[in-house]
Amino acid sequence: MRRIALFTILFGFHQILLNAQDFKLFDRTVQFHGFASQGFVYTSDNNWLSMGSASGSGAMTDMGANVSTAITDKLRIGAQVYDRNLGHLGQWHPTLDWAYADYRFTDWLGVRAGKVKTVSGLYNDTQDMDFLRPFALLPQGVYPTAIREVTIAHKGGDIYGHISLGGKNGSLQYTAFAGERDDSKYGGYFYLEQTPPPVLVLNSISALQYGGDLRWNTPIKGLLVGVSRFSESNEGDGQFDAGAGFMPFSQSSKADWNNQFYGQYIHNKFEVEAEYRRSWIDEFLYSGAEEVQTNAKAWYVAGSYRVFRWLQVASYYSDLNVQSPIGPFGNSNGYIHDKDVTLRFDANRYLNFKLEGHFMDGVGVPGVYPGGFFGIDNPNGLKPGTNAVVVKTNFNF
Amino acid sequence: MKSPKNLRLLMGTILLAGTAAAQDVKLIANSSVRVDAISITDLKSVYLEEKTSLPGGGHVEPVLAKSGPAHDAFLRQILGRSDSDLQLYYRSLAFTGRGSIPKTLDSDEAVVAYVAKTHGAIGYVSIGTRAEGVRTLDLGSEARSDRKLLARVEPDYPETLREHGIGGTVRMRIIIAPSGGVREVEVRGGNAALGEAAAAAVKKWKYAPAAAETETEVSISFDAKR
Repeated sequence: MRRIALFTILFGFHQILLNAQDFKLFDRTVQFHGFASQGFVYTSDNNWLSMGSASGSGAMTDMGANVSTAITDKLRIGAQVYDRNLGHLGQWHPTLDWAYADYRFTDWLGVRAGKVKTVSGLYNDTQDMDFLRPFALLPQGVYPTAIREVTIAHKGGDIYGHISLGGKNGSLQYTAFAGERDDSKYGGYFYLEQTPPPVLVLNSISALQYGGDLRWNTPIKGLLVGVSRFSESNEGDGQFDAGAGFMPFSQSSKADWNNQFYGQYIHNKFEVEAEYRRSWIDEFLYSGAEEVQTNAKAWYVAGSYRVFRWLQVASYYSDLNVQSPIGPFGNSNGYIHDKDVTLRFDANRYLNFKLEGHFMDGVGVPGVYPGGFFGIDNPNGLKPGTNAVVVKTNFNF
Repeated sequence: MKSPKNLRLLMGTILLAGTAAAQDVKLIANSSVRVDAISITDLKSVYLEEKTSLPGGGHVEPVLAKSGPAHDAFLRQILGRSDSDLQLYYRSLAFTGRGSIPKTLDSDEAVVAYVAKTHGAIGYVSIGTRAEGVRTLDLGSEARSDRKLLARVEPDYPETLREHGIGGTVRMRIIIAPSGGVREVEVRGGNAALGEAAAAAVKKWKYAPAAAETETEVSISFDAKR
């Protein structure tokens, strides 16, 4: 009921918003933009993305709204609020998605400070905005939406710039970042750690995150290649109950990083892209009593073609391979192979509908790296294969 | 070196304004934009919000038309993107805070009016649009405005081609070093042998010195009948 009321209100403003995305305040132009999306997921066998999807679930809603303005020719400020309800995640608790000041000294040197979306790979910073791409769901091995909060933004700053390499060599864009992780207790990381046994409740987690992204707009028209690095050092605390009452719990990371390599080629209505991400996480749990290592390798190849102005067809194949040589499940490993087919219908530039099918083999190692599957949502155990239908609509202005 | 007369050669450096792109589109800017010309590379960077200033030209901000022939030509020939791709690109900037969606206007007249009153604004309109109160920019000709051509060497017309009546126009993108020498020539269109001759000549051209390296596009025509 809450979702219906919300969408009714938003749709009522739809026409107004389409024609008024800025206003004057103290003689400055302030832009405001927003989006909202609603999805429905039905899966065979396993529940997915913390939803009761095996019975069909519409618990897939998110929305955001932002304002921004230029204070001077070189200084911009802005902020965005984001809210989502994805199965057991988000639970309608709005968060400050980003809020920062951006000062561009020159085209090749600028700084951002505040809470900043983390640039990593093709889509890390825009993964919530599915209207920017054909797919309703990105490959979960590379962009696990359930634990988006881990990498989505940092409280700190960026140094960035755009460097022209001359007419023959294209241009470079770089971003270097450092800051504090800003996780939510309604996010997937906290949810993941509840997986019994033992019962574990994480109270808080803090982490220094740092890394960078370098992308080359090559002289071949439409071809972009890039590389990203993301590192963090985290510490968390909470309680756990192994059957004898709750006891203090702590965790800390020994190593936690991922490297990402990507390429994208756009030619007229055709687009193809590929990414590879390698993650290595080595953590001490239970005040150092247990060590968990996770070695995750994920990649995908995706392609899309805009058949008509109103129709885009797209597909990807993604592969996630997880190894956990040391951890609560012993020496374990698993994989997810996901074959995706998507149809995107654009009613206009503001409103779209998506129909998407996923055909997945494997469930990965849910306890250490959620490629979409959580043990807690599948108390009778996970079955090896899952097919999914996703229907999603979005409007933005 | 043979004289142009003996070679019966018609040559001329022409602005990209002579090509299909600018036959459809007139570039305009607010009077605060202190350049008379802009390269395609810079123009593209301005519209993708990678550049917010021009060398010697101060702050710039792009203005879009909602639709129309000028809009279609600009997207196709300058940005190389479809309208839907461009809109998604701007939305990715707006929803991550890395930029904004440019002012988008319904008609050429509205673009002219907005550019005229907005500091740093750059826009495009159909070639026949009256552009009052704004500066008209040449495309791809920084050299003409900022880098004066001081010494020009004419190309040798390959005799075999001339005898067989083979001519045409060679388009080149050139990079001019701060010292004024032509550092790099990229042939972008025309007969390969003529391109070789044209590039060899252009490499000997000398421009006025400048603080930084600049790019421009030049064309040379070879007319076998003259």
